[in-house]
Amino acid sequence: MKTINSIVAVLQREFRITFRNFSDILSIFLFFFIGIMIFVFSVGANNDIFNQIGIGIIWTLILLTNNLTLRKFYQDDFNDGSLIIFHLSGLSYELIVLIKIIVNWFVIQIPFFILIPIAGFLLNIEIFNIKIIFISFLLGSPIITCITSISGSMNLLNKKNFAIGSLIIMILSIPVIIFSVGLVNTAEELMRDQINILLGIMFLFLAITPWICSICIKLAIQEK
Amino acid sequence: MRFLLNPSRFNKFANLILRPLIYLSVITLFTGLVFVFYLSPNDYLQGSTVRIMYIHVPSAWLAMITFAIMTLYSIIGLAFKIPFGFIVTSAVAPIGATFTLICLITGSLWGKPMWGTWWVWDARLTSVAILLFFYLIIIFLKNSFTNINIAEKITAIFVIVGSINLPIIKFSVDWWNTLHQPASISKLSSPSIDPSMLKPLILMIIAFTLIGLAIAIMRIKTEIFQRKHK
Amino acid sequence: MLLANNIVFNRDNKKILNKINLTISYEKIIHVTGNNGSGKTTLLKILTNILEPKEGGIFWDGKNIKKDPFIFYKNLTYIMDRTSSNVSLTVDENIFFWMRLFSSSRSIKEIESILELLSLYQYKNTLVSSLSYGEIKKLELVRLIIEQKKVWILDEPYIGLDQISTNLISETIINHARLGGMVIFTSHIPSNIPNLEILHLKNYEND
Repeated sequence: MKTINSIVAVLQREFRITFRNFSDILSIFLFFFIGIMIFVFSVGANNDIFNQIGIGIIWTLILLTNNLTLRKFYQDDFNDGSLIIFHLSGLSYELIVLIKIIVNWFVIQIPFFILIPIAGFLLNIEIFNIKIIFISFLLGSPIITCITSISGSMNLLNKKNFAIGSLIIMILSIPVIIFSVGLVNTAEELMRDQINILLGIMFLFLAITPWICSICIKLAIQEK
Repeated sequence: MRFLLNPSRFNKFANLILRPLIYLSVITLFTGLVFVFYLSPNDYLQGSTVRIMYIHVPSAWLAMITFAIMTLYSIIGLAFKIPFGFIVTSAVAPIGATFTLICLITGSLWGKPMWGTWWVWDARLTSVAILLFFYLIIIFLKNSFTNINIAEKITAIFVIVGSINLPIIKFSVDWWNTLHQPASISKLSSPSIDPSMLKPLILMIIAFTLIGLAIAIMRIKTEIFQRKHK
Repeated sequence: MLLANNIVFNRDNKKILNKINLTISYEKIIHVTGNNGSGKTTLLKILTNILEPKEGGIFWDGKNIKKDPFIFYKNLTYIMDRTSSNVSLTVDENIFFWMRLFSSSRSIKEIESILELLSLYQYKNTLVSSLSYGEIKKLELVRLIIEQKKVWILDEPYIGLDQISTNLISETIINHARLGGMVIFTSHIPSNIPNLEILHLKNYEND
């Protein structure tokens, strides 16, 4: 079907552009590690402290690292009119948003499945249950991607204030941080509930993000 | 009821009601303060410090109701395409922010004699701080765009997104709080309300609401004027 | 047939388009002229449902394009004033992207001959970032051939093109109309295309 062809075309283009500019992606992950190091300097290389707050540090840094991807989400394709071209080929804006979210999740979030254990080693955290950490990241990362997408689409015509996009991401991510970190540090009985809460938040965001982002993108295209 | 949706009708309504509203709110405030300082009892545990509650709780109420009004008018502006919705949203945002700030500061002042610290991360104060951040983000977001049309629409979208998220955030903060906080801190939530405390509290809530309303009307009028003469 | 009915458009309370009426039938070429700020690009954006007019509507085959723009888009190629080719990709990669995006049935041979005509064949494997402005503009126009659509809406297609390319584009437009397509384009430069219908937009402040 033609729509599937178009979707695959966009996906292929996105991945190709991403890997053509591989150093951009690597810089983002380097930020993550240098951030960990900053925490080591500021907090002190004390294993007891790291055991208590290590997961929190890692999650905070994941959030901050995602802030860096804000501009990459839609801005370039908006500026050169590619978003309109995608739309003219028959893809609704909601579908375009969904494609962008999938690409971002694969390119930015999946590498964290490797980076988190490495960070764990660096901080000498006794990771009792790597499975739980992965589950918490599996549930939390789509939410963060959706939030970044919302902020990115809202800020398309924002040429003055470069901080506000990050502010939006951070304040909307509070529940994700609380429950994702909480999941790791909590007792068995409460785990099921928290997983359900995270699942609920994830589905909520997956449902409303394409709609909200397409509204913001359409507004930006009209007012450009 | 049209004055709630139409700028010129609103102006007529505002001109009628503003002055009496200001008088009424000053009188209510004065009466309320008299009750607060002379006619209400000390708290069994907290002594005289409890009187900060009479400012703290009304500002919390105003902070929350203002956000609800902002959300309502953002929906009116976006879904029903009535521009007055955006006017009210941007007029009312700084009022909400101020009341939230008052709530935080009075909460902090209340906390110092109670627990010895200027700030504590209990569920209530943390949620109010988050509300303040939301207000500030809304105000800054509106000023981030050069084009007023997109500024007000994106801000309205964010208000709605924010109001969907606020219950989630409140829930997660409460949940986090029960895990991390010693139990003693919930004193801020309620001194068991004795009727002699209830009367001044309600008076102060009404006074604050009237004051908030008066300021809102003035700001909305200003906003209408500014847009007309752009 | 594409019909624009009583289009009115304002921006910041300034009137840009006032009751524009336009009918484009097959084999017709329309040249939209006007000074800067007269609303040429705005009109094209309204024709392609990117902007919503304050009054009036656009109709394709009798149906309002606002209701289902995709029916219209199946028949439309819109070349904008900015180029959409991605600078991190090569000429070839951009072309194959467009071919896949629009499910084009053109053969590789056809594309290669177009590239030769536009003197772009030598840049097949060059990154777009290394091309000159005019070459990037020419690349964008390859979309017209790739998409194989009836309606061509072009915003300032001639800017940055040398004389040879300008003539080439004009010939392509004439051919397209002759074979039953329709073209509407904006340009500052007077055109030497025969049988052209001219729509002149006025600036409302100067009147």
